[in-house]
Formats: sequence, C-alpha cells, structure tokens
Amino acid sequence: MLPEFNLLTPQTLAEALDMLAESAPDAVPLAGGTNLIVDLRDRRQCPAVLVNVAELAELRGIRQENGHVVMGGGTTIAEMLNDPLIAQHAPVLQDAARIFANPLVRHRATVAGNLVYGSPAANTPPPLLVLDAEVELASQAGVRRVPLDDFLVGVRETACRPAELLTAVRWPTPAQHSAAAFRKVGLRKSDAIAVLNVAVRVTQRADGVCEQTRIALGSVAPRVIRARAAEESLLGQPLTETAIAEAARLAAEATRCISDIRGSADYRRRVTEVLVRRLLTQVAGEVK
Amino acid sequence: MKYTAKPLPKVELPELRQVGKPLRRVDALGKTTGTTVYSGDFTMPNMLHAKVFRSREPSARIKRLDVSRARALPGVVCVLTAADLPDARLVTDMPGQTGQKRRAGSDAPVLASDVVRFAGEPIALIAAETLAVAEQALDLVEIEYEPLPGVFDPLAALQPGAPVVHEPDNVVARWKIRKGDVKAGFAVADVVVENTFRVPFIDHAYIEPESGVAWMDGQDVINIRVCTQVVEHFRSIARAVGVPHNKIHIQGTLLGGGFGGKEDITVEIFLALLAKHTRRPVRLEYTREESILAHSKRHPFIITHRTGVKRNGRITAAEIKMVSDSGAYLYLSPYVLLYATIAASGPYRVDHLKVDSVSAATNNPFTSAFRGFGAAQAAVAYEQQMDEIAKVLGLDPLEVRCVNYLKTGDRNATGQEIKSAVWLEEAATRALEALGEKTPAPSDAVKIGQGFASYLQSYGRITWFHDTSRAWVGLELDGSVVIRCGVPDLGAGQINSLCQIAAEVLGVGLDDVTIYSTDSALTPLAGTTTATRQLYMSGNAVFHAAGAVRESLLERASKHFEEPPDGLDLAEGRVFVKDDPEQSLPLSELAAMCAAGGLPLANLYLFKAPFTSTLDPEGLQGDVFPDFTFGAHAVEVAVDTETGEITLLKSVGCHDVGRAINPAAVVGQIQGGSAQGLGYALMEEVIVEEGIIRTPSLAEYLIPTAMDLPVTQAIILESGSGVGPFGAKGIGEPSLTPAAPAVANAVADALGVRIPDLPLTPDKVLAALDRAAGREAVGAAACETDDDGSEA
Repeated sequence: MLPEFNLLTPQTLAEALDMLAESAPDAVPLAGGTNLIVDLRDRRQCPAVLVNVAELAELRGIRQENGHVVMGGGTTIAEMLNDPLIAQHAPVLQDAARIFANPLVRHRATVAGNLVYGSPAANTPPPLLVLDAEVELASQAGVRRVPLDDFLVGVRETACRPAELLTAVRWPTPAQHSAAAFRKVGLRKSDAIAVLNVAVRVTQRADGVCEQTRIALGSVAPRVIRARAAEESLLGQPLTETAIAEAARLAAEATRCISDIRGSADYRRRVTEVLVRRLLTQVAGEVK
Repeated sequence: MKYTAKPLPKVELPELRQVGKPLRRVDALGKTTGTTVYSGDFTMPNMLHAKVFRSREPSARIKRLDVSRARALPGVVCVLTAADLPDARLVTDMPGQTGQKRRAGSDAPVLASDVVRFAGEPIALIAAETLAVAEQALDLVEIEYEPLPGVFDPLAALQPGAPVVHEPDNVVARWKIRKGDVKAGFAVADVVVENTFRVPFIDHAYIEPESGVAWMDGQDVINIRVCTQVVEHFRSIARAVGVPHNKIHIQGTLLGGGFGGKEDITVEIFLALLAKHTRRPVRLEYTREESILAHSKRHPFIITHRTGVKRNGRITAAEIKMVSDSGAYLYLSPYVLLYATIAASGPYRVDHLKVDSVSAATNNPFTSAFRGFGAAQAAVAYEQQMDEIAKVLGLDPLEVRCVNYLKTGDRNATGQEIKSAVWLEEAATRALEALGEKTPAPSDAVKIGQGFASYLQSYGRITWFHDTSRAWVGLELDGSVVIRCGVPDLGAGQINSLCQIAAEVLGVGLDDVTIYSTDSALTPLAGTTTATRQLYMSGNAVFHAAGAVRESLLERASKHFEEPPDGLDLAEGRVFVKDDPEQSLPLSELAAMCAAGGLPLANLYLFKAPFTSTLDPEGLQGDVFPDFTFGAHAVEVAVDTETGEITLLKSVGCHDVGRAINPAAVVGQIQGGSAQGLGYALMEEVIVEEGIIRTPSLAEYLIPTAMDLPVTQAIILESGSGVGPFGAKGIGEPSLTPAAPAVANAVADALGVRIPDLPLTPDKVLAALDRAAGREAVGAAACETDDDGSEA
C-alpha cells in the first residue's frame, strides 16, 4: 500500500514553487509518477508532501526559441515521440523514446522525471547529452540553467536542489551537417531496464572532416557519461573505419561498469565498443 | 535444407455440430467486458485484511519471535504464530494419490517455528481492520535470527558434510530406469555423445497473483473463495486447520492463470486459520513481489546425456543422469522428478536405457509443479542432445530423429506400449515446412538459425494415483442444459470444452449450456486442473453423463415416434427422426414427457482413468500414464554475434491433439504455451544467490512481451486416436514443452556452438562465441568408441 502523504495540486508554477519551498525537503514533485509511485509503494521514498505538477501549463509544450529547442519538463515521453519539432531537430530523442518502457508508461512519464530520478539506465539522458542539452531549474530564488552533463552526478544523484523544479530542457538546434543515433540493449524488446544505452552525434564538414562529436553512454557508470577522449580522438579527422574503431575503443575505456543481474561488466564494456562503432559508422554515412 | 510435410495417415473423423468448431467460448464475454469476477474482486461486510510475515533469512534458527507489539496495535484483530498452531503442516501430497510412500518430516510447516529454511518462509499471520494497519503490524513483529549454514546448490547438497535441510540427508527423491542391456547397447555404438545441460528456476508469472476471502458460516463451515487449480485441497486444509473435512468449503473462481503455481495450497490455510480464530471474513491478496517470494518455482535441473549411436543415427544405448533442486520443502518434487525421469529419453525408441535421477533439498525457494512438470526440463536436454548427435554424425537433425522416433506399438522408457497415433515425423516436417527458407541475414554480424524440437508428453495423471473425475449433466424443462463439475478453469478453456461436449451430445447450441464449476461442496469433484488431465478426465465424465441423459431422452422419444432410438437424433434443440427430420419435437416437450413419466433428466457420471499398481522402483518398468501427446515446435532466430542479442523471427507449433474440441482454444494453447517456452529459452530466470531472490518483481524477472514474439503459427493435427472424448489428446502442457529446446537448437544452428544453459542471455552468447574461437577451454563433446564400447 502507499504510505500516507499530503497531495497538493498547484494551479501555477509560482504556486508550485511556493509549495515545494514551504515543505522542503519533505516535498517531492509528482508528475507522471512512474518512478515515484513505485518508490512510495516499496517505501524507498516517504515524502510528507507530493506537489502535483502534472497539469501545470508552464511545464508543457515544445518550441523553438533563439536557435534552441525548448521542451517543457512536463513533456511526456509519448508527446516527445509524436512531436514534429522533435522529429525534425532531434530524431535521436525519438529513437530513445520509442524503446522507453511501454506505451502505458510513455503516456505518463515525463522527461523531467526521467532526468531528475538520476538513474544511470535512464533512456533520455544519452540523446540529450549528445544534443548538448541544458536543464532549467526553477525555485523561489529564480531560474538557473545547468548543462545536463553537470546536472547528472551519480546513482540517483543530480544537481537538483531541494525545492527546485526541473521546468525545461533546451538544446541548440543541431547544425545541418549533424547526425545522431541511439541504441539500447535490453534483455527484452520492450519494457526492459537498459543493459546499456549509447548515443552519438557527429557534425562533419562538407569534406567529411569531423567538426564536433558527442558520445554518451548509459548504464556503464554511476551516471550517464560522455566519452570525451573518444569524442576528441575524432576531431579534425574524417570518419574512417580506423578512426571509428579507435574512438569506440576509447569509449569502452571510459566506462566504469558493474556486473549485475542484467549483464556482466565485461559484457557492458565490450558491447559499448560495438555500439559506439556501429552508431558512428551509421551517422558517418548519414551526414553527407 | 528444404523440408516437405510427410503425408498424414488417412483418418476419418465424423463431422460434428458443436465439437470441432471455433465457437466463442462461454467465458469469453465476461473476460472481454470485464464482468468476470476473480477471487481478488470479492469483499464482504465486516471483513478483515491479512498479511503474512515472512523470513528474510534462507537458513536460520529463530532465536526470538515477539508479536506482542503487533498484537497491541489498534486495529489488529489477530496475530498467529506457530505457537498458536501446534504442528500444523502443509501436506503437499497429490490429492487422491494412493501410491508413493512419503518421506517423514519434509512437509512444510504452515508457519515456521524454530528454524526457517528459505527466504520467504511464512512465520506469522496478521489480520487487521484495514490493510494499512495490517502492513503496519508487519513492521512491529520482532524477530532475531541465528544464521545457520545453508546449502544453495543441489550438487553441493548431495556431497557428504553438506548442511542437512531435513534429516537424515538432502536426498528427497531418487528414481531409476533400467531397461535392456546398456553395456551391450554401448558396445555396438559407433559413436558416443555426451553433454550436460542446465535449466534455471523460473516463475509462473501468472497475471493474477494469489488471493482469497474466507469466512465461517452458520454451520461453522469455513468457506474459502480462492483461485486454485485444486479444490480437493479442502482435505489438506481441514487437516492443517484441525476441522473435519466437511467443514471446509472451497468456492473456486475462474483463474488468471495457474501453470502449476496454484497447484499447491497458497493462501487457503492462512485464510482458514484467521477466519476460524476471528470468526470474521478475512481477505488476503499477495502483491506481485510476495507472489514471487511465496509460491513454488520450476525445478532447475542438471541433465547429462551419454548416448551411443550408430553412424546412421540409430540410438543403441543411453545413460542419463538428472539432478533437480527441490528447494527447502518437498512439495511435488518427487513426482516432477519422476516425470522427468520417464521423459528423459524423449519420443525415441531406446531399447537399452539407464536413467538415474535425484532431487536434492537446498535452502533455495521451494520448487514444485510448472506446466510440463519435469518433462519440459527433460525435453530441453534430450532435444539438444539429438541435435548434437546429428552434428557429430554429420546428419540432418530431422534425419537422426526419424531413425529413432517412437511408433505406435513401440514401448517407451518404462516399457509402456504407445497405443495412440504417434505423428512425430508428420508434426516435425509440417513445422519445418511452415518455417520455410532461412531469412537472409541483414549484416555480417547477424547470423540466422533454425531449429526444432519434438517431444512426448503424458496427459492424465500417473495411473497408480487411481484418478477419477465426476460430472453431472442435466436437461432443464425448457430444453436448456446444466453441467455441474468441480473443474477449475485456469483460463485455458476447461469449462468451455465441457460445455461444447455436452452441447454436442445433447443436440443444443453452446449458448444453451450453463456450467457450475470449481466448488468442493456443490459441484461433483472433478480432480485437479493439472497434468493436462481435465479434457481427458472431466471431458469423458461430461461425455458419459450427457450420453446417459441422451439415452434416456431417445428412449422416451422412441416411444413417441415409434422409431428405434438409433433412428433418432438430437440437434438444434430438437429430437427428430433421422430419415424424416420433419418428424420432430422441441427438447422442452420431450423433457416434459420424461418428467411426466418420472424418467431421469440428469446423470452423475464417475470417470475412471486406468488403474495400475506402482512399479518396481529398481527399474520402473510398466505402465505409468493413460496416453501421450506428440508434436513439434520450430523457430527461426537472428543472433547478433557482437551484442549477443537474439531475435525470434518465426515460430511454428504443430501438435497432434487427437481431436480439437474448440480449434480456436487449441490455437490459444499452442500460442500461449509456446510463448512461455520461448521465454524459458531466452530470458526467464529467477536468479537466486545464496538463497535470496535477485529478481523480486516483474521489473527484474522478465517474461516476453508481444514485441519479443513473432505470432506463433499453430498447426493442428487430428489423429482422433486419443483417450479423451471424441479421440482428443491433451495440449495444455505439450504446447510449451518443445519451444525452449527449439530455440536452443536454432541458436546453436546460427552460432555453430551450443550454449548448454538456459536462458540464452546476450552475455552467454558472447561467452560461447569466445569459447568457440578458442578464447577459453571447450567442454566435452563426442568421442569415437572402440569395438568394446570403451571410449577411445
């Protein structure tokens, strides 16, 4: 059974932030509840107050703004999956949304919830990391922007402070010559916690030389990580088979895998290399 | 290789009016519209809510147990511990069986008293005014454990000096088959192939966790509404609770799946005890997590095959060793092991056979019935072994099997003559033909494999259990039909089949039949819904009961029409003269005539399976089962050799079901059963480390989703040769059995190397490829033999 809690339903963002501030640190925002309700039931979290932010208009909507795509924190995974703007500017995010849990969960779970929960196995951080996303954190004190790479700290640990609400995720509209890809390995094809997640994005010049690379790896370290050495190894180079292989090797070296019921550390490291190689090869073909 | 279906022997089955038609099942509408009431849906006025306090330790002495704080919590009405129930035991024997001598002391206590033997073992029961209070009270139970050495591996449990789970030792059952002269058989073998295969713990993962409501009525009868496969447990419940048999009344509900997991007693005794102590209605429902902790698992097995073969594939001798993990309590382990032992050599003629099997007690979760009941585990081993034999001999897997397939009139492992049709080659070739050519691989990293498996699976219980089923069939005065039969319906269509049979015999539509089922006091006892027995047993009981009513009706009609009874027939709610159908009467008028004459309009029939004696344990030679189902499953897989991921591309099940009473329901069984088998092969495993389940919920314990499975093509063959009504055989368990080994064979075909342990996880795929590439030592496979049969 669920433990007892007070459920508050604010009408505006300002009201929500007041409520969170008033009851901090015993207040937790509730959006889709797909993590929170399970945790409450299993008594992993026992907050006294839940602030229901699911209906707040300020957290909804996906729009373009000053060369950025801005996505409300309350955007559900299903909305992300069906949004034309995302389809145009960040199809990689839809690749992750497509294999996110199951259709029921996708209609409830929000991107903010997926990020704030701080799971190294979460599906949206790898594509958002390769998009150079920032998160907007609002509180009574105001709004601050934090790069996602700084926001993710450890297992269930983020830079989100008590009484802060993740209101939006934003990223620069990717350049024309940029292509990205995502791949998840799970132990089944739907509704599976990731054994590993990999996302890559590459921006190439017309002559095929790599201008910018992003490689993000999930479920292979205490948080979703960027494989920076691998990224840098490709800079100023054409994406040859050799260069890709080297980057993949470096990406695998960046992992800090554990063995658990879903896979061995060795498996994760090894398949990280395979997937980075495959995804880079795929995007190298797509960019031209 | 391209396969062509072997032509079927000519069989003429009469065209029937109700049987053999894919009619809308009698339980379909309620389930589709959500009006079916399951056991978890019941509530009663003044009802209490129960919770079970369980052990967190797999092996420990209970140093101190103090429930006084829990008892004192406002709203708590009753807390029971072992101290309140002197020596209450959960007798887990098969109801009605009269043969096997039991091992003393190995039945589970209802509540643990001095020691706990597995993590999850019940220790105390709580009943409270609300569920919230009951949960709070759980936290107030104080317990101190003194950890005891545990044993968590069946092989370790059999070693001298291992911690003993139950005195005198950890051997809970042993069986052996001695048939022919194994030494002589190996002596004439050209090649001996030896392999060891393993299968894991798995969970039934039914959609409906265990639940029930119990209350005492004005006669002091304890009524229990519960989802169970076995209403006959009322006797064991009565014994555990300390009341006469006639004071326990099981009102069984339709089930959201059982698969063997509701074959043992689950919540019934807890409910009965609390209802008796509080004299108030009590409800208990397990969460999914508690369900996984509380109910049985499928037995892990370690199975070693040593097979002598001629160059043409003919098996000359087989020596098979089996070890199963019985977990902390006996439950049905001896019988599961017996089924595995008898099925060990598969649907093949092996004249020289030696099987030695043993089940070991451990401090792991207890294991018991699971669809396939040991025979499914056996099939995983014998069908992989057949493919390995084919590989060693350089023969096609089908060819090796065809040389060895049993035929009607042959004798199986226990020397029992197979009397029904054995359409093994017919089934295998059809499944393979339907599978078609291999799908081209999308890239070099992906390998495509095809594989299949044949099987034999008994239906009906062990004949020395002296199995019976009863059914009552009656015609109402308006021509509608009533069946009363204690059959539990697990969702597989058990009650519908009975209705279709009665409709056929009495010449009415399916909608004209109403069935009352699953009640230990008000419906005639039909026995367990286990062992693929209900269509055979209760189907026959209904067939004969309806037949008696039909006979009575036709006799009366014969006088009316002045025609002999065999010149008359019943159809569409009327009796008519066959040669002149215009001469007819509605059944309501015929019923009125019978009633006016004091003639019976109902019949209670007792159907008996063949009764045999127990076999000599020194060799187990003789008849054990009423009959067997035969068939095959074939699959195609794509294996990513770099990530180890396996994708099922195609799946075909082909089974001789004797006669399909409802073909749509049979397709459902073939698709559903094979889905379970495919999951067994690819992902299902209850991971247990040092006695602790590491897959405690459906987030960790994975079963296949619709995304993981292609639509299984079901090919129904009808030999009409079964011992069920209209020549039916059973399909409930058989549908599962060949699916897992088919996948294992397909993966081995794709990779060129075999993974001998299920499930076939990506990790294991990569490890196997490493082994094949010589990155690690390779296990034993085959060896040539000298003329004297010794290994060269």
